[in-house]
Amino acid sequence: MKYLLGTAAVIALLAVCTGFVGYRMNCDPALHAVVAKGDTMEWLHTDFHLTDAQLSEVRRLHESYAGTCEEHCRMIQEATRARKALELAHGDKAALEAATSKIQGLRTICEGSIAAHVRKVAALMSPEDGRRYLALVLPKIANFDHTAAPDLRLSHSN
Amino acid sequence: MNTTHDPLSETLHGWRVTPPPNPNFRQDVWSRIAKQSGVTWPTYLRTHMAAWSMAAVVVVGAAGFTGGALAKSQARADREAIVVTYLVDLDPRVQALLKP
Repeated sequence: MKYLLGTAAVIALLAVCTGFVGYRMNCDPALHAVVAKGDTMEWLHTDFHLTDAQLSEVRRLHESYAGTCEEHCRMIQEATRARKALELAHGDKAALEAATSKIQGLRTICEGSIAAHVRKVAALMSPEDGRRYLALVLPKIANFDHTAAPDLRLSHSN
Repeated sequence: MNTTHDPLSETLHGWRVTPPPNPNFRQDVWSRIAKQSGVTWPTYLRTHMAAWSMAAVVVVGAAGFTGGALAKSQARADREAIVVTYLVDLDPRVQALLKP
């Protein structure tokens, strides 16, 4: 009986050690650290193996895109406010539909613009990293839920 | 009431076992006990090698796989979280929702 228990204990210990090694071999502490900090540029740097030159170029692209982003944001907000005003004033159905359609059109333009921007960013990476980056980012852009703000708690969890 | 005589019952009733006495009985018992307690761990393992090897391969393999899967799942969750943060800064539609 004592040999049975002893052997089982040795195997259990071996399993715990193997599990730990398996975890350590597959985990990414650098990624976990940048996520904890919420530093997106550092994330691009470490997770997509960017050189300093590539990172500077990505920063420049993001900065140049910031103006476009700001403009699109303003236009969407204005169109949303206009539709809300129409709703409050019980405006006619055709005007409301036109306002909704305008917002939808702006969002579509915006989606195209941001997708083009991230493709430019991906082009700066190695082909493999670029593909991985686009696989992560593009579905999120396409599946954007315009009825709710993103879960910001998620972005700073852990 | 059944009053018939059953010859088998009568035979069994009269049956007596008289085994020949074994003068070494006590000594044999202690000898077997001593033999059992003399089994070492390596001997035990050699005897049960197949079963324990199988158990070790399955349990250790499952533990390694679980550890790896756990780490990958954590990395996936980390990426999901940072992508949201990234797009909050980048996507005007998100900005339009967040700005007053």
